[in-house]
Amino acid sequence: MLALTVTLVLADSAVVTLALPDILVHLDTSVGQVAWVLIAYNLVLGLASVPTALAVARAEPRMASAVGIAVFAASSAWCALAGSIGSLIAARCVEALGGAVALVGCLELLVAERGERRGVGAWVGAGVVGTAAGPVAGGLLTQAFSWQAIFVVQVPFAVLAVPAALAAPAVPPPAPDRHRPALRPNLTLALLSAALTAALFLLVLLLVDGWRRSPATAAVTVSVVPVAALAARPLARLLRAPAETEVAAGCLLVAGGLAALAIPPSSDLAWTVAPQALVGLGLGLTVDRLTSQAMHLRLPRPRHAGWTVGARHLGVVAGLAILTPVFTADLRDAQAPAQEAIVSLVLDAPLAPQDKIAVARALGDDLSRQQGRIPDLHHAFATADLSPDEHSAAAQLERRLDGQLERAATRAFRNSFLVGAGLALLALVTVVAPRRRVTP
Amino acid sequence: MSRRLRTAGLPAAALLLVGGVLGVQVAYGGGSFEPLHPGNPCTARPLPTDADGIDGLTERLVLLGVDRAACDLHVSREALTLDLADPGARTDAEVDALHRGLLAAVREMKADGSLPPASALVDDALDSLDLNAVVKAAIRAVPDGVVDAALKTDDVLTRTVDDLDLRELLANLDDPQELDAQLRRAVTDAIKDSLAARVRGLL
Repeated sequence: MLALTVTLVLADSAVVTLALPDILVHLDTSVGQVAWVLIAYNLVLGLASVPTALAVARAEPRMASAVGIAVFAASSAWCALAGSIGSLIAARCVEALGGAVALVGCLELLVAERGERRGVGAWVGAGVVGTAAGPVAGGLLTQAFSWQAIFVVQVPFAVLAVPAALAAPAVPPPAPDRHRPALRPNLTLALLSAALTAALFLLVLLLVDGWRRSPATAAVTVSVVPVAALAARPLARLLRAPAETEVAAGCLLVAGGLAALAIPPSSDLAWTVAPQALVGLGLGLTVDRLTSQAMHLRLPRPRHAGWTVGARHLGVVAGLAILTPVFTADLRDAQAPAQEAIVSLVLDAPLAPQDKIAVARALGDDLSRQQGRIPDLHHAFATADLSPDEHSAAAQLERRLDGQLERAATRAFRNSFLVGAGLALLALVTVVAPRRRVTP
Repeated sequence: MSRRLRTAGLPAAALLLVGGVLGVQVAYGGGSFEPLHPGNPCTARPLPTDADGIDGLTERLVLLGVDRAACDLHVSREALTLDLADPGARTDAEVDALHRGLLAAVREMKADGSLPPASALVDDALDSLDLNAVVKAAIRAVPDGVVDAALKTDDVLTRTVDDLDLRELLANLDDPQELDAQLRRAVTDAIKDSLAARVRGLL
């Protein structure tokens, strides 16, 4: 239950990604505000992880963990019941605070229960699974039930984890403050998390908003990342490469996967599989290695765990801060070529002149109503006053126009994926950069 | 496995995988999956042939005219269409270029022989004109040769384009009935003027 709690807390970082369009409509809010449902959680978790680690080290970890998990459970229920965007963002902030306490506390309890090596390994592994599987779980729950279901299902798991935390073995007194934070692995972790944001956040946006796939289809599609991440460990064991080589190869794989996502040959979902597999392999090779490196033999353990959590989630926030303006500017710039492509196809469509004018009028009305978003053209075709014998030509035109919108959206996401790839390469630089020699 | 091989194996495998995936994506057109680029309005492009009669002729004339206007203004046909459809973006220079473009289109269609004779349009025109049934029947009874001798399609179209208030026409794009009425008035006046000019010429 404790490892599951770690998975839940870290999955929550990206679990709402596929639910954002539904939240946007249900809570009648703006794109800018709804992004804060994602940003607020990562920002609070990133900023609070080190201070809460200090507090947990001074308190009784079993009690601290139980309180943290209970706060996480209660605020998850609050998220599900939130009736406004302000209320949801506030609930997400409290959820992140509870999650930060639970994360650090669970690490101490897992180590007390399983020993140093296995306990830290379980904590790190649960985190990787949570990070990779969050969007998949969120998408499936949103499609099957509603966005609120994402938060509802967390409540019973978290409630069951409270007695598990209280029943855990006693934790020995905290070690004195002996080591400085491991700068290099934490920096690499932050840069990689920023890059992985591009993979997880942008890819689901491209699938749902750009290519008009359902949240469930998008969830199944992005499940390639966690599957590949799980396959990375046996592969690494087979090759038995040194830890830093694994991390360097992982950064390269993430960068390559993101660059490949920037240039799909079509909107066929199959073209995302190999790039995602690269990202997943990279994720599996890097995140747990870097987390272990940042914590290896460093005391007090909770504080160094706090630094890794902080690095990861502030990296996610930095990734969103860097990528969102790039992506929104590119989406704005994509409007003119998309409109021109639509005009070109309508002018040359095999429709009677009066039907062309009817379609153009309906499209014009719909496009101006959907300003700032990737438009859905179906309503325009459904409401256009067309002659009955032109319906088949109109349906063909609608498919061709949808194809143009998919092309425009794909083009609009290209730079953001490439920026993500650049962040992964920057992470690679931090790994291969020569170290300062320590003179005896 | 030696340490060197273990150190080099994983990065080499990663490089191979990344190169392979990127290579396949590029080979299948990755990077060129972009929206359609507008064609050059100064070069000839095939015109739609789905509609016939006056509708088909009007469509071909307008498409060719917009192409010629866009070529004149050094913009794409699509950008000009979007501007002309938007009262806020439409400029006098664009409307004047459209007028010149439509006249150029009439000349071009006459030169390449794609303008139908007036007799081929009579039935279609009479269907849309608000005339007495007896008058319509009388006009239909006139032999094609006489109609073609009396009315030249290019002359009627040139007069129609000159008579049309393009600013008013573009403002009426959202009102199909008013648009239709305006076009009908312009065509009727052009036919009358053409016939009158013909009679004056004969006298």
